[in-house]
Amino acid sequence: MLALIAPAAVTMALFQVVPIILGANASFRDWTLYDPKKTWVGLKHYIEVITDPAFFGLAIPNTLLFLVLSVSLSLTFGLGLALLLNRSFVGQSVVRTIVLLPLMVAPVIASIMMRWMFNDQFGIVNVVLEGVGLPPVAWLAYRWTTMMVIVLADVWLWTPWFAVLLLAGLQSLPKEPFEAAAIDAAGPWRVFRSLTLPMLRPVIVVCVVIRSIDAFRVFDQVWVISGGGPARTTEMFSIYAYVEAFQRMNFGKGSAAALVGGAVIVVFGLVLYRLLNRAVEVSK
Amino acid sequence: MAEVVLNQLVKSYGGMAAVRSIDLTIPDGAFAVLVGPSGCGKSTTLRMIAGLEEISGGTISIGGRVVNDLPPKDRDIAMVFQNYALYQHMTVYDNLAFGLRNRKESEARIAEKIAHAASILSIEPLMQRRPKQLSGGQQQRVALGRCIVRHPQVFLFDEPLSNLDAKLRAQMRIELKRLRERVPATSVYVTHDQVEAMTLGDIVVIMKDGLIQQVGTPLQVYNDPANLFVAGFIGAPAMNVFKGKLDAAGEKVMVEGVALSVGERNRAALRGHAGREVMVGIRPEHIALGSHGNQLEGSVDVIEQLGSEMHLDLKMGNAAFTVARVAPDAPIRLHEKVTVSIPAERLHFFDADSQQAIRPASLSGALAA
Repeated sequence: MLALIAPAAVTMALFQVVPIILGANASFRDWTLYDPKKTWVGLKHYIEVITDPAFFGLAIPNTLLFLVLSVSLSLTFGLGLALLLNRSFVGQSVVRTIVLLPLMVAPVIASIMMRWMFNDQFGIVNVVLEGVGLPPVAWLAYRWTTMMVIVLADVWLWTPWFAVLLLAGLQSLPKEPFEAAAIDAAGPWRVFRSLTLPMLRPVIVVCVVIRSIDAFRVFDQVWVISGGGPARTTEMFSIYAYVEAFQRMNFGKGSAAALVGGAVIVVFGLVLYRLLNRAVEVSK
Repeated sequence: MAEVVLNQLVKSYGGMAAVRSIDLTIPDGAFAVLVGPSGCGKSTTLRMIAGLEEISGGTISIGGRVVNDLPPKDRDIAMVFQNYALYQHMTVYDNLAFGLRNRKESEARIAEKIAHAASILSIEPLMQRRPKQLSGGQQQRVALGRCIVRHPQVFLFDEPLSNLDAKLRAQMRIELKRLRERVPATSVYVTHDQVEAMTLGDIVVIMKDGLIQQVGTPLQVYNDPANLFVAGFIGAPAMNVFKGKLDAAGEKVMVEGVALSVGERNRAALRGHAGREVMVGIRPEHIALGSHGNQLEGSVDVIEQLGSEMHLDLKMGNAAFTVARVAPDAPIRLHEKVTVSIPAERLHFFDADSQQAIRPASLSGALAA
C-alpha cells in the first residue's frame, strides 16, 4: 500500500512541499542575490508587506476587484452561450466550435492581441471609435480603462470554459420537469428562474469556486497588457510578489508577499465555498 | 371534460415511423388505456396529445377543437410523468401552485384549490416538504395533485406506476380507481402492464408497431382478441397457442395428432377455413384437469406453486402448454402424465397466415358496429 502511494507522495513532496518550505524559509531571511548571507530577520518582511500600502491598499483590492468582475462576467456570458447552444439549430456544431476557440489560445497571446487592439495609435478599437466620429481614447494610460482591458481579456479567455461546463450541466438535466413546466404554462423567464437556474446551481458553484481561486493568481494578462501600470495602479498580488522576488531580487520579501496572498486566497476560497454551498443547500 | 379524437395520427422520426396511423375516439369522461410492448408507439401517441411531440400527420382534437398547432399549455390537459417530474427545489405547495400562478390565479383561489386536491389525495401534511423528502408513492400523489388542481379537460398518464414497487403499485392502482370517482375527467393512460390496462380502463387500446391492434372493453379484448398478438398480450399466464389443421367439414381440428371438437360457437365461422391450417388458442385458466370432452395428454415439465393455485407447464410432443388454476394441493408429480380437458366453447381460432381471429359471425358484427 505504502509502496503504491510512494511515487506520488515523493513527487508531491519534491515539487510542492519542499518548494513551499524553501519559500517559507526565505520569507524569514534577508535573502537577496547580492547578499547571500541569508540573515534570519524573523517577521520583518511580513510586517513590511502587511504595512505596505501598495499591498493591502492596492494589490489585494485590485486582485479581488479583478476576480469578482472577471468571474461574474464570464459566468454570465458563459451561461448565456450555454443556453443558446443548448437549443438545436442549423449549424449548431460549427457555432459550438467557434465559441470554444478562445480556449485554445494561450493567455499571453490573447493578451498581446488585446494590447494591440487597444493601442492608442494603431489599435482597431480607436479606429472604430474614430470611424463613428468619437475621439480616440488612450486606453492603457488610465487606471480604470486599463483594468477594463485586462478584465475583458480574461472574460474573453474564460467565457468558453464556463459555456462548456454549463452546457454539459444543462444537457444532463432531466427533460421531464421542463415538459411539466410547458404544460404548466411557464414562460421562458419563469422556466429559467424556477427550473434551469436552481437545477444548474451545483455546477455553477463548482465552476465559480475553481475559477475564483484561479483568477486570484492571475499574472499573464496583467503582466502583458499593463505590467501593473500605469504607475502600479493595476498591480495585482501576483505581480507584487513577482516584482519583489525576481526584479528587485528580494526573495525574502517576495516569498512573504506570496505567503500572505496565499493565506488571503485560502480564507477567501473557504468563505466563498461556504456561501455558495449554503445557497445550494437552501435550493435543495 | 371533453372527447378526444385521434384521426389518422402519424409520427415519424426521419424515415422511421413510430406511430403509423391511429384512429381513436375516446368519449367524454372515459378512461382509455394504451397498452403494448415498448416501442409500440403508445408513449409517443400520448406525448402528441400533450403537445410535447410534434405531429407528423393527421389530427388530434380535444373537445371538438383541433389542437395540432396549440402549445401544451393551451390544450387544457394535465400530465403525470413516469418519474413524477416534480420541481425538486420547490415545496409541495409551490409545486401544486406553479401552474396556477403561471395562469395568474389569485393566491386565495390557489390555496382553496390546493386544499381541495390535498384532501382528496391526503397529502396535507406534506405541503411544506420538498420532493426529495418524500417517498416514491408520496411523490406520485403530489404529481397527481398537480394535475387535479388545474381541473383540466383531459388527464394524461405516462406509465405513472412503473417506478413503484409491486406492492405500492397495486395500492396506487386502487387509489387511481377511487380518484376517478371523485375527479371525473377524460383520461388517457399509457402502460406496458396489461393488469393495469385491464383494471383501470373503460377502453383498452392495444398497440404494436405503431398501429392499434384492438380497441375494446377489458372483457371484449380478453374474451375475443382480434388477433394472435392481442391474444398473447392480454391475460396472464399467456394464452396457449397450437398449430392445428381443420378437417374437411370444419368441425374437428387436429392438434399434435389429437382431434379436438371446435365447438358449436365456432363452427359457422370455421366453415370457410375447412381443411386449412389454423392457430388454435386456449387460455391456461380454461383448461382443467380431468377427462371429459376434448382431451389432451401431456407430461408435467414445470410446477409453479402460487399458494392459491398451481400452474403446470405440460409437454406434449413438440408442443408445450400451461394449465392454470390447478388446486394447490393436487397430487401431481414432475414428469407425470396428466390428462386435461379443453372446453370447445373456449377455443380461439386464428388464421395461420394473417394471424387475425376467425370469429363467430355474430361477434365480429357486434364489434364492428
